[in-house]
Amino acid sequence: MHMADALISPAVGGAMWAATGVVAVYSIKKIQDDLDDKKVPLMGVMGAFVFAAQMINFAIPATGSSGHIGGGLLLAILLGPYAGFLAMSSVLLIQALFFGDGGLLAFGCNVFNLGFYTCFIAYPFIYKRLINKGITAKRIFTASMISTLIGLQLGAFSVVIETLLSGKTELPFITFVMLMQPIHLAIGFVEGLVSAAVITFVWKERPEILENASMGVAIGNVSIKKVFIGFAIAVILIGGVFSLFASSNPDGLEWSMYKTAGKTELEASTRIHDILSTIQSKTAFLPDYDFKTNESEIVTSTDIGTSTSGLVGGALTLILLAFIGFGINVIKRRNKLSVK
Amino acid sequence: MSHHKLEVKDLNFMYPDGHKAINGISFCIHHGESVGIVGANGAGKSTLLMLIMGILFPTKGQVLIGDVKVTKSTLPMIRQRLGMVFQDPDDQLFMTTVYDDVAFGPRNYKLDEDEVHERVIEALELVGIAHLKDRAPFKLSGGEKRVAAMATVLSMQPDVLIMDEPTSSLDPKSRRRIMNILKGFDHTKIITSHDLDMIFDICHRVIVIKDGGIAADGITSEILSDSKLMDLCGLEVPLALQNCPCCRAKKS
Amino acid sequence: MASIMNSLYNMRLLDDLSQKDTFVHRLHPLVKLLATVVYLTVVVSFGRYEISSLLVFLFYPVLIFAFAEIPVVPILKRLFIIEPLIIGIGILNPIFDHQFITFYGIEFSRGWVTLFSIIIKSGLTVTSALLLVATTGMDKLSGAMRMLKIPRIFIMQLLLTYRYITVMMEEVARTLRAYSLRAPNQKGIHRSAWGSLAGQLILRTFDRAQRIYQSMCLRGYTGEYNIGRQSPMNLYDLLYLTVWCLFFIIARIYNIPFIIGSFVTGGI
Repeated sequence: MHMADALISPAVGGAMWAATGVVAVYSIKKIQDDLDDKKVPLMGVMGAFVFAAQMINFAIPATGSSGHIGGGLLLAILLGPYAGFLAMSSVLLIQALFFGDGGLLAFGCNVFNLGFYTCFIAYPFIYKRLINKGITAKRIFTASMISTLIGLQLGAFSVVIETLLSGKTELPFITFVMLMQPIHLAIGFVEGLVSAAVITFVWKERPEILENASMGVAIGNVSIKKVFIGFAIAVILIGGVFSLFASSNPDGLEWSMYKTAGKTELEASTRIHDILSTIQSKTAFLPDYDFKTNESEIVTSTDIGTSTSGLVGGALTLILLAFIGFGINVIKRRNKLSVK
Repeated sequence: MSHHKLEVKDLNFMYPDGHKAINGISFCIHHGESVGIVGANGAGKSTLLMLIMGILFPTKGQVLIGDVKVTKSTLPMIRQRLGMVFQDPDDQLFMTTVYDDVAFGPRNYKLDEDEVHERVIEALELVGIAHLKDRAPFKLSGGEKRVAAMATVLSMQPDVLIMDEPTSSLDPKSRRRIMNILKGFDHTKIITSHDLDMIFDICHRVIVIKDGGIAADGITSEILSDSKLMDLCGLEVPLALQNCPCCRAKKS
Repeated sequence: MASIMNSLYNMRLLDDLSQKDTFVHRLHPLVKLLATVVYLTVVVSFGRYEISSLLVFLFYPVLIFAFAEIPVVPILKRLFIIEPLIIGIGILNPIFDHQFITFYGIEFSRGWVTLFSIIIKSGLTVTSALLLVATTGMDKLSGAMRMLKIPRIFIMQLLLTYRYITVMMEEVARTLRAYSLRAPNQKGIHRSAWGSLAGQLILRTFDRAQRIYQSMCLRGYTGEYNIGRQSPMNLYDLLYLTVWCLFFIIARIYNIPFIIGSFVTGGI
């Protein structure tokens, strides 16, 4: 459920970067305050472990298929929420850079969807609360199951919101939710089972690991509140500035392009507009935010490139590109040969 | 040169679970000596090294480097003088390039970057891998990793080199290379190993550990050829000292 | 298992490529990082019905491929692995967008346009991120991040994660191999071994972290680490960044292929 760069808008990407940044800075400060320099190598190596462990296939009983783990909750439980969050960010950054999984702009979204909800919501408010009554195998099972399910549901919902706010797809809100949530219920169920088994094993073999992780990271209501306020401000600021810009000029830059290029307008479909507004009034979700009906909807034939000029120009651009690419290659090769 | 002396006095160590790993060990190693520490698995070799390096602290007794006792407050100074090479080089090469790994120690001692550079190059040349300096550790062969791990310690210019199993899981050529490098150092050397032929080749003195105590301490050729003692301590006379496998002829 | 081997190969490849010595590789890492970020932002800022203006943005990856001597096939291979995941969400666009567009007499759903736009955008964004690593390398990239004042502690653990991914993947691969040799015909790890298999790996990971920490301490680590000196930017670096940014902005404002097209068709 990695968000890709291609599916987000700069406003959403920027706002989520800001939110993630605030949480990350807070987490780093927390770890520095604890003066636990031992944690740094542990975070590093555990991040690497989660990376590798995501590739283990766990056979799901009686289905013939297999599932994977995401590892967010595991990191929170074994390292504590702050270190777990940072370790998860590292994993996601390397995935974005080396594997194109997620992207640099969507990095904030991904860290938030996969790291924040598990480390700062599911872990402290569900897992910790249940476990605090004293560790037993049964409690580990219940706690891991519920917290992975909730963490993933929040993450999946977040993906839906971010995608819709970015407005790159046509999926109606309800359809998207109906797709995402049940899938992630199933994924969460498997991850919950695996996490519970792993945590129980670690607890039986080396109980001190679980004790160390939760030590010194008591999440009082105050600190969590601070984090919330911090990122709420960041999101509102960045998101607000971007959307102000976007609503006063339909999609900012795009609008300026209309003017400069002097394109003709094409009438937007009234049908899609109607469908969407009925859906919106039914769900009343973010009633003030028009998902698809702002003026940026207006499509011109030049955008799509269906006009003759667009087609010819597109083709010429591609030919030019191929020519330049090959040209540089040939020159480079010749230079190398002449050096030899 | 009394300040290069390494002395262990009546060392005792008990793990939190009650296991007594070290039982009253005492010895003194002088400047320039090469000492092999041998013993069966679980005899207490690794624990002894960790006590010397100040990773663990003894329940009784003390370790002295020169005239300085190893305690929490003297650690920064002690660790500049003792360099330890770990058994698994993957644990020691934790940075993204060989250069950064070798520079890690000097940089922590806040040397300026020019001196760091000088030391890194010097250390890499000493072990003959200057050409690998920009390589990522995961792209080195087993032998190269081992040598790089040695360089990370040498860049700190220690007086004493402590090596944990320097030749384990290496092919014969790489093993020979490490041995030649080790022979070339004039540092005080403490080497633990099960590779008794290597110990026989490099160390003039050997300390045999058995059940957390010293079973023997003396000249290598005498101790390692004592088949009764070796057998008792879970060891074996080095191949170099055994009879010829083909003709049973005794080696001179 | 195959995925572990592929990932290992992929990381090694990108690391190998980053060791090349071309003028792109020699550029300051921060400049390359910033150029990539600007590029991504501009590409992503296009609306969902844009196709023709996006084509110009192919110039960036094509020029880098050529100048940095990066082989095209492995990068595109990676792209084709990733693309379906991204298209997964866009694939429904033609179904949900009921407006039709007429193109030379053929009618088709406008959703195809948005889908195609997403495919192009994801191709551009994924490729440019991979090219950033292939021309810069993780260690230099971390230097650039340090210059952006990202806290040391984060960079240190990021680098450690990067360093130990290969070690851990090999360890996981060994464990899985040992498992599969004694459990043939199993599709994945059986439920009875879930906890112990992954749990043992975690315990070994903790032990390794402990040893790494010790080896760091023995070399004077006290929680703060100075990552080393960053080389300053020179005129070429700034020029590189400026030229690309100008190009991106112009290509964002003017639909260059359209202009070329009008010029040619008008001229003929």
